[in-house]
Amino acid sequence: MAPERIDLPQGTLDLLILRTLALGPQHGWAVSERVQQMSSDVLRIQQGSLYPALHRLERKGWIKARWGASENNRRAKYYELTKSGQHQLEAEKDAWQKLTSAVAQVLGTV
Amino acid sequence: MLSDLYIRARSLFRRGAVEGELEEELRFHLDRQIEKYIRSGLTRDEASRRARLEFGAIDQIKQVCREARGVTHLEMLIQDARYALRGFRRNPMFAVAVVLTLMLGIGSTSAVFSVVDRILFRPLPYRDSDRLVSVGLVAPIEPQEFMLGGSYYDWQDNQKPFVAMTSETGVEPCDLTEVNPLRLDCARVESNFLPTLGIAPVLGRNFLPSEDRPNTPSVALISYSLWRSRFHMDRSVAGKLIRIDEKPTEIVGVLPMDFEMPRLQSVDVLMPEGLDVAAQRRANPGRPMWAFARLKPRVAPEQAKAQLESLFEYSLRLAPGAFRKEVHLTVRPLRDRQFHEVHRAAWILLGLVAAVLLIACANVASLLIARRSGREREMAVRAALGAGRLRLLQQAITESFALSGVGAVAGVMFASLLLRVFVAMAPEGMPFLSAARIDVRVLFLTLCASLLCAFGFGLVAGLSRTRADALTSRTSVSRRHAQARQVLVIAQIAAGLLLLAGGALLARSFWNLERQNLGMNDQNVLTATISLGQPGYPTPERQMAFFDQLQHNLRYGPGVSVVAISDSLPPGGYRHDTLFASLRVEGRAQLPTGTGGNVAWRWVTPDYFRALDIPLIEGNGFKDDELTSSDRFVVLSRSLAERMFPGQDALRQQVHVAVGAPAEQDPPYTVVGIAADVKNGGLAVGEEPEYYRLRRNRAEDWDRRAVVIVKSNLPASTMERWMRQQIAALDPTLPVETDTLQERVAKLADQPRFEMLVVVYFAFTGLALAIVGLYGLTSFLMVQRKPEIGLRMALGASKGNIVRLVLRDAMRMVLPGTVIGLALALALSRTWSSMLFQVGPHDPATYLCATALLGVVTVLAVLVPATAATRVDPIVTLRVE
Repeated sequence: MAPERIDLPQGTLDLLILRTLALGPQHGWAVSERVQQMSSDVLRIQQGSLYPALHRLERKGWIKARWGASENNRRAKYYELTKSGQHQLEAEKDAWQKLTSAVAQVLGTV
Repeated sequence: MLSDLYIRARSLFRRGAVEGELEEELRFHLDRQIEKYIRSGLTRDEASRRARLEFGAIDQIKQVCREARGVTHLEMLIQDARYALRGFRRNPMFAVAVVLTLMLGIGSTSAVFSVVDRILFRPLPYRDSDRLVSVGLVAPIEPQEFMLGGSYYDWQDNQKPFVAMTSETGVEPCDLTEVNPLRLDCARVESNFLPTLGIAPVLGRNFLPSEDRPNTPSVALISYSLWRSRFHMDRSVAGKLIRIDEKPTEIVGVLPMDFEMPRLQSVDVLMPEGLDVAAQRRANPGRPMWAFARLKPRVAPEQAKAQLESLFEYSLRLAPGAFRKEVHLTVRPLRDRQFHEVHRAAWILLGLVAAVLLIACANVASLLIARRSGREREMAVRAALGAGRLRLLQQAITESFALSGVGAVAGVMFASLLLRVFVAMAPEGMPFLSAARIDVRVLFLTLCASLLCAFGFGLVAGLSRTRADALTSRTSVSRRHAQARQVLVIAQIAAGLLLLAGGALLARSFWNLERQNLGMNDQNVLTATISLGQPGYPTPERQMAFFDQLQHNLRYGPGVSVVAISDSLPPGGYRHDTLFASLRVEGRAQLPTGTGGNVAWRWVTPDYFRALDIPLIEGNGFKDDELTSSDRFVVLSRSLAERMFPGQDALRQQVHVAVGAPAEQDPPYTVVGIAADVKNGGLAVGEEPEYYRLRRNRAEDWDRRAVVIVKSNLPASTMERWMRQQIAALDPTLPVETDTLQERVAKLADQPRFEMLVVVYFAFTGLALAIVGLYGLTSFLMVQRKPEIGLRMALGASKGNIVRLVLRDAMRMVLPGTVIGLALALALSRTWSSMLFQVGPHDPATYLCATALLGVVTVLAVLVPATAATRVDPIVTLRVE
């Protein structure tokens, strides 16, 4: 069986989606697959949170959507990172690294 | 930000497309997942089942996505609005009733507000207009403050409380004597008049101080409307020479469009006063004038008055003794000066319309509650299916906003209609009324009123709470709603009675005003008011010659029985005024102190008394041979004769009428008659003693003004045409005003009639709305109580029993409403006692009538639905139960 899976808090989910889309435009299914792959199956995104997150990010203007043909030639909605999305990704990455290192430090000292 | 807006807008307006895309996106995901499972070796069914399981409830995801797109509030609103509209379409009578009620309430409010706004609230068209005051003396002879040249310039030099003080010396007719001559209104003002009021000409300049002196070249500022109508807004008009009363006059500027004289006279041309200031300072009393001033910062009118007191005392010392005790100083805001008389009426009107609006709102709230309780089950079902309390309240408020919106639009249209009716009805003495219009301020008020109404109803209707027990029980909640409506109906009846009592009082007062004995006969009398122009008739000789010729020509006209000429006419309007102290009986000492009050007088020709049917009590009045006499003759009114000659015979006595003047200006007059008293101080105010001077065939007795009185048995319209022809034959350019005496009297009653009609209109609107409220509630209760009534009838109750039962219940609303209404009316009516004529504010008969009328219509409003309810077949209603 796959390793134990972790449910993601919302802020982290946004970060992962932005990071995934930094590799290139993708549709929603591929985003969830990619996250799963890259995390060696540890992280799995529920559809119930993926799509609201995508719509929310689109509204914030960090990603933008356009319709394109998928690998199997079906119409699919592709999301790609915008300029402000890239800035947001950098900022969130920094914040995340600071957070994890701080948390690690706290855990290490105890 | 932009993407946000775009997405929201798109979700809102392209809802179908957006929903489709969401569906497609999620479907794609699901399909890919199924494919993936199939590739990993599952059967199609198994793969599909597993993917769906993982995916979860697709509708829920969609909802979360929609919320993520941030449209739910707006969308909910639209959904509510659609729901509301559907409801209205299903029950159009309800929507129509609400909109009509709101239209009446909001429309009346807006119309009244647009009228009283100018009187009560709107700033006057001057810079910092609340700093402007009217300054002057108040005397019995002139209750509105004025100034006199003998004091004004001293005050102006020595005053402390004002930044500046200015004056005008009144408006007089003048003629533009060019090709196409034109009669104009010319005002004479001081050179600092416009700067003190804070007005700048839109074109050209103000007068220079050097132009405001006697014997300087004539200059003028023209009004905006004259600039437009006569000079076609030609910008080169400044510097142009025109001829005013034959005198070359340079136009130096154009006044702003919204320019108004501080005393609201209509004016076409402003000219400098051109007074000889040095001579005025020496004069006593000097030229009458009207003074206005701008207060220094932080000085109130009362303080200004206190600071002027010493100057006033000084001036008073110069005044004739008779005056001193009866003259007072007044400093009051300009708005008070302008609207003193109508101020109270305006507040009362505003109060009345507030009562109408209240009744209308109560009706709408009541209707909404009724509908709400009719839909109780629906609401309960929706609540049971998970609609939140807040959501239902929001829905109720949306619904009432939609209704109020439509009501407000209808109200504004109704208001402009009502305003047009007001203006058409309005007397000429209310110039600000024709200027009233529905503008941004009024629209804003309308908006506020309707929003307030909407919120109020929504809350009332929405908070009348919905409980699950409505699903099971049949009547309990409806009854509770009915209680709320009963309170509303009590309030409506109270407000309705208040309005009705006010309307009845004013109607009664107006009736008294119309029926009163004027002391003369106004039937078959036609009058023509003529004011001869300066250029054509420069001397009294020329003026007398004109009127003499006219009188001669008219005397032998068709059906003419009497022709007379005076310079003014009772019962109101202009007449000469003097003080009782100025009169003296030959050979007797003058009255000790005081002015003795006002005495009116007129110039008349011998037939004046016959023309107006004023009975001569003693003596024969003026005779024709006195017309050529060098002696002077006078007829006294009965009240004056009784005062001057108490218990004695006045006939053939000699009197003086200008005591205090040099002897050659105070000749003796012989009393040749005593006439009955005639109403002469306006319709409402009491009579003044009066005397009549004979207008002899001597130039000294004539001036440019005269009223020609013709009594004839021909129809007024025929006579009027003939009279105009006769006047035009003598001078075709002369402006003439012809009226029957009845029209002149009716014109005096214009303002009370207007006030009465407006108040009566509101009384009936309010009453009608209140009755609709009561009727609506009773019918509603009848429907609710149908099974009960059926049961009672099945058990043997007669129709009479049922009707009595319903009436008794209704009286529980009508009686408290009536008592509250009567108490309110009795308490408030004192404020309008000044508007009443010969009827007390607590007149029992009037209140009785108003209460009786209300009683009759309320009983009808209850009886009609009650008897309808007894017509049901008890078996049918019981079977339904």
